[in-house]
Amino acid sequence: MASDTILTLKQITKKFGSFTALHPTDLEIKDGEFFTIVGPSGSGKSTMIRLLVGIDEPTSGQIWLRNQQIEHMPANERPTCMVFQSLALFPHRTVGQNIEFPLKIRGVDPSERKAKALELLELLRLPQGYYSKRVTQCSGGEKQRVALARALAFDPEILFFDEPLSALDYRLRKTLEKELKELHARTGTTFVYITHSLEEAMVMSDRIAIMKAGRFEQIATSDEIYAKPVSRFVAEFMGEVNLFEVEGTSCGSLHGHGVEVHLNGQASELGCALEKGMRGTLMVRPEFVRFLNPGDTCDYVVRGILRAEFALGSRIQYEVETSSGARLTIEKLREDRFMGSVDDEVTLGWDAENSHMIREDLHATA
Amino acid sequence: MKTSATTRFALYAYGILALIFLYLPIVAIGFASVSKSRYLTFPINEYATQWYGRALESQTVSDLLVTSLKIAVIVTIVSMVVGFFGALAFARYEWKYRSLFQKIILLPIFFPQAVLGLSLLMWFNAIGVLPSWKTAVVAHLVWIAPICTLIVAIRAYSFDPALEEAARDMGASTFVILKEVTFPLLMPGVVSAGLFAFLLSWGNFPLSLFTTGVDSTLPEWLYAKMVSGYSPLVPTVGIMSVVASFIVLMLALFLPRLLRRGSEAS
Repeated sequence: MASDTILTLKQITKKFGSFTALHPTDLEIKDGEFFTIVGPSGSGKSTMIRLLVGIDEPTSGQIWLRNQQIEHMPANERPTCMVFQSLALFPHRTVGQNIEFPLKIRGVDPSERKAKALELLELLRLPQGYYSKRVTQCSGGEKQRVALARALAFDPEILFFDEPLSALDYRLRKTLEKELKELHARTGTTFVYITHSLEEAMVMSDRIAIMKAGRFEQIATSDEIYAKPVSRFVAEFMGEVNLFEVEGTSCGSLHGHGVEVHLNGQASELGCALEKGMRGTLMVRPEFVRFLNPGDTCDYVVRGILRAEFALGSRIQYEVETSSGARLTIEKLREDRFMGSVDDEVTLGWDAENSHMIREDLHATA
Repeated sequence: MKTSATTRFALYAYGILALIFLYLPIVAIGFASVSKSRYLTFPINEYATQWYGRALESQTVSDLLVTSLKIAVIVTIVSMVVGFFGALAFARYEWKYRSLFQKIILLPIFFPQAVLGLSLLMWFNAIGVLPSWKTAVVAHLVWIAPICTLIVAIRAYSFDPALEEAARDMGASTFVILKEVTFPLLMPGVVSAGLFAFLLSWGNFPLSLFTTGVDSTLPEWLYAKMVSGYSPLVPTVGIMSVVASFIVLMLALFLPRLLRRGSEAS
């Protein structure tokens, strides 16, 4: 995998009338990377991909594809291609005709086109007989593969995806996520993917950009985004999380707002020091919180009452209420389930290495 | 849903009565056209196809057929073209006065046709155009082209704009998109619009009455003959006109299917 930059955004903005859909944004995507932009609806991710593909033009800023400036180049002249959310397969054409479309536009001769289409059917594990099948007769997952085959027939420098899996049921989506990742590895093409599902992004991506209100909140690997989110927004976007408002005290400890946090040790040693009066958000994921037996020690300790227990398939989720009314979520694998019962008084704890201090106000958004 | 015996009976009774009400007159005309006598009487004593022979030999009837056909064919072709491009403007492109245009373009459909015909006739007089079958074409178009636009637009609304964007993204120019994507997808709409255009023009009476001048169409002639000087050719020509409509309808229904089968086989 080459590490050259294939796509560069310089201060890209997009306005619709007086509404700013995209604030000045910089971005570099590496050649061969699987890069995913994640955000809730209205975050600007669709606007972003339309600019990258060339369906819309930015209000200002530059887009570079390697050494070529392309922000005003129309979509049909760009060497990139997109798999649309609706897939945009031509319903009046067969599977084969759909896959061959980009080649037909380029004037490739029919026999060569057919050979390429059959090769792509094989790559995407579709039977060769599908070549003459009507697109409208294909199932959801098959259509997905046909759309991918058509985009690959184009042989793009960058392949864009606009939430192509969002309409599929859970199991099929999970299968296709893995297939996409595998396909990315096999083709070596740069994939730029947008989705509202961070779970989807984490399965597939080399790097993830989290988008909110027309800005990137964080661009990092999935591990880093999961363990070290830069903001409450990113932390909460990534599934269940426990967040506590804390304040630095003069003795170098932490004072919790709404929850009593006991530190076994100095905050500075635990890597979560806050200057006196400075506020931060302490984060711990549900799976890292433990039920403590008497005598157990942990860097952080919180006491409360077990209020509810939910079975989540392979995991069990617990809800604990502290004396101040704050609620904590804990998750355990079924085999590690907690043997207490609802309304028991429990002591919870977790270690510093599994928690993270979000210093939002200190953090300047890049 | 389960229906009781009474409900079923009511449904059948309704269905049969409605069909009788709709089809009895045309069936009666059918009988009249094959009656030997000059006037319609029941029961029919003697059947004969002589009036069909007479109708086919008649110069008047063939002139009427040619005039009606000329008007209908030209109106059909022009309406399909106008409907196709009109529907694109109507449904697919964002422009400033689009919603106003959408409302105004459909308005002529709701004008009383007699008023529309009269005002067109007065207008043709004012600009010094002598009314003939050609002015009737214009009159028919004023009423029929908006209907065709609406029919194609319904089809245009139902197709995903991403299809055109995807085609562009894969390198297609505007013309290629039109030829490879937009037109084939709107084709069923254009065909039904053409069918409507033909049938509406073929059977139109009020607009033709005002605007054909010295020429005459089939419906006009039928009316004239009923008002003054009944001819036994009236039911015959009427049935011929209905049969012609029916043939066009069948062609429109089955031709696309046959063509598709042909293109799939190749």
